[in-house]
Amino acid sequence: MQPENKVSLVGRLQAMRETRFGAFVPVLLALAAIWIYFGLAVPLWEYWGDPDAQSMRFIFLSPRNIYNLFMQSAVIATLAVGITVVLLLGEIDLSAAATAGVCAALLGVLVLMGVPAPFACLIVMALGIVIGAAQGILVAYVGIPSFVVTLAGLLGFQGVMQKILPTGNLNVGDPFVRAFARVLLPDALGWALGILCVLYFAWTVLRKQSQRSARGLELDSPAATWGQIAFFGALVLATVATLNSYRSVPMLIVLLMVITALVGWVTTSTPYGRAIFSVGGNPESARRVGIDVKRIRVSAFAIVGLMAAIGGIFGASRFGSVSYTAFAGGSLLLESIGAAVIGGTSLFGGRGSVWNAILGALVIGSLGNGLDLSGAGAADKLMFSGAILLLAVAIDAVSRSGTTER
Amino acid sequence: MSQTKQSMGPTAPSPHLRVSDIHKRFGGVHALKGVNFEVARGEVMALVGDNGAGKSTLMKVLAGAHTADEGQFFIDEEAVSVNSPHDASDLGIQIVYQDLALCENLDVAANLCLGAEPIKPGFSFLPRFLRPLDDLEMEVRAQEAIDRLQVKTLKSVRAKVGGLSGGQRQAIAIARAVGADGSVVMLDEPTAALGVAQTRQVLDVVKRLRDTNHAVVYISHNMRDIFEVADRICVLRHGANVATWNKNDVTPDQIVSAMTRGLDKEAQNAA
Ligand SMILES: Nc1ncnc2c1ncn2[C@@H]1O[C@H](COP(=O)(O)OP(=O)(O)OP(=O)(O)O)[C@@H](O)[C@H]1O
Ligand SMILES: [Mg+2]
Repeated sequence: MQPENKVSLVGRLQAMRETRFGAFVPVLLALAAIWIYFGLAVPLWEYWGDPDAQSMRFIFLSPRNIYNLFMQSAVIATLAVGITVVLLLGEIDLSAAATAGVCAALLGVLVLMGVPAPFACLIVMALGIVIGAAQGILVAYVGIPSFVVTLAGLLGFQGVMQKILPTGNLNVGDPFVRAFARVLLPDALGWALGILCVLYFAWTVLRKQSQRSARGLELDSPAATWGQIAFFGALVLATVATLNSYRSVPMLIVLLMVITALVGWVTTSTPYGRAIFSVGGNPESARRVGIDVKRIRVSAFAIVGLMAAIGGIFGASRFGSVSYTAFAGGSLLLESIGAAVIGGTSLFGGRGSVWNAILGALVIGSLGNGLDLSGAGAADKLMFSGAILLLAVAIDAVSRSGTTER
Repeated sequence: MSQTKQSMGPTAPSPHLRVSDIHKRFGGVHALKGVNFEVARGEVMALVGDNGAGKSTLMKVLAGAHTADEGQFFIDEEAVSVNSPHDASDLGIQIVYQDLALCENLDVAANLCLGAEPIKPGFSFLPRFLRPLDDLEMEVRAQEAIDRLQVKTLKSVRAKVGGLSGGQRQAIAIARAVGADGSVVMLDEPTAALGVAQTRQVLDVVKRLRDTNHAVVYISHNMRDIFEVADRICVLRHGANVATWNKNDVTPDQIVSAMTRGLDKEAQNAA
């Protein structure tokens, strides 16, 4: 006999994860907890502990730090979006960060050789697609588990990156490449874009609702409808306000949002995306309705390869350099897989969303940033990240319907 | 062989779907050893046999989920080839799989339209797999299919299949096969998880399909259901035909004996 409230808690968790916005709740809670801890609790603690302090210093929640936080999380988020796509299939990509490193290194070398930067970016993106698709072919057609294929990829591409960058470091000064992270939207344009996004979102939600009622379909409750709009609006406008009050909305963030919106749309609103979810849920069912499961697998790995290449470009742009430790040899891989999983994407396939990966990246980024600010060492960072990741996977396992008795 | 031919011969209506000499091997297992099978429009052909006789394998071959190692397919006596699920559905062959083949992580509407999702008009500049889904149309169609089957316990077509009961899932799998407009509907033990009332509904659906000139294949271990809906009964044993009878020419005992012992044994016993 299980205590009744425990059963209903798990049940409620499962029910919540089934709804469209419910999937955001755990990651938002994690984010809120981290922000409250580093943003409010730590300053308060320091203020009380230090009799000489004049006033509380909100370093973590300062616009300047939030700006840095977004920029730090952007590369993680880019990779996490791609990794989410393969996780939806129930596969994994351990080579994403190494692929990003190879692509970034190649980009650096190409621009150094005088290849025009936009062209070099395209070459590097094509390389990412080829690397991803090649691994996908080994998974789908040869039948090697993706864990093994991409583990081999991880090792191999780490080596390749060291071959391309014998010194382990290369400065990238090209203005085009640097522009992604350096160009800022004028404040007014940032506001205009933000408001447009919110209006468009509201319009699609309300139009869908009116179409539903016109066709006699069940309606979302007005609270849910307006709640969605209010939530989205608050998120976007608060972000714009914060970024504007330090500098402005960076181009990098806008690009990241556009790419995520595109991948998000493809995965949720097209036959292709539906095929990804069905392969992740039950590959045999997908095969029997005529979905080409192997092609879907290869294409998903191509997408993660492309996202890794874009992440490499973004990283080179932000750091102004390509280094072995920032990509292939560092913590980027585990941070991006962690971001996707913390966002609520299931490691078992068939459940998740790229938007959650963005929030997951913010969780990981916030944790690292907050611990840095409070002077914690690398060891603390690793242990905290591990704990958060474990918590996220535990939530996933518990809320996965069908694993607990109903 | 001649036994089969003969019993399918003179009294049989001209078949809509016919396959002959189907072989299917899984590694060392020879699951289908030259099976002949046919079904006409406006009839219910029951397919019976012991566990492991090869019924589901034959259905999967007909539905394109397995490709036959050998064998010929005919639609209205015209040779066709079925090498993929697409081939089968293009030929109007629909199936309810024994394991249902649903995706638990998707909702009812998505499962009902899986692989044949309606698309919003006006995006022909995009490749088909990247055109926007018409999810409202999907829900409308799903609701219609569910209503037609009179599944009253299903609250919403937006419910995830993972949260549904076995009977509700079976109803969805049936709705998917019946809802798509095919000429052949094959149901592999569709009432295994159903209560008395729902079983009755499925039998009514089967009869309705026959009355609307569909060719229906019905697999079940329940003799009473079979004798209620079937026009002809085809018996498989160890991956080969035993016989095909008109329902009126045979008794349930004879069927059971043919399923378990085949005809030769029976003849020996009688001798
Ligand atoms: N995918 C497969 N791989 C290997 N062997 C298989 C496969 N599918 C079926 N078989 C074998 O083929 C034979 C026929 O199986 P099948 O599922 O067609 O039986 P069935 O008549 O549907 O039985 P039941 O009444 O239990 O559903 C069995 O011996 C089974 O082990
Ligand atoms: Mg079977």
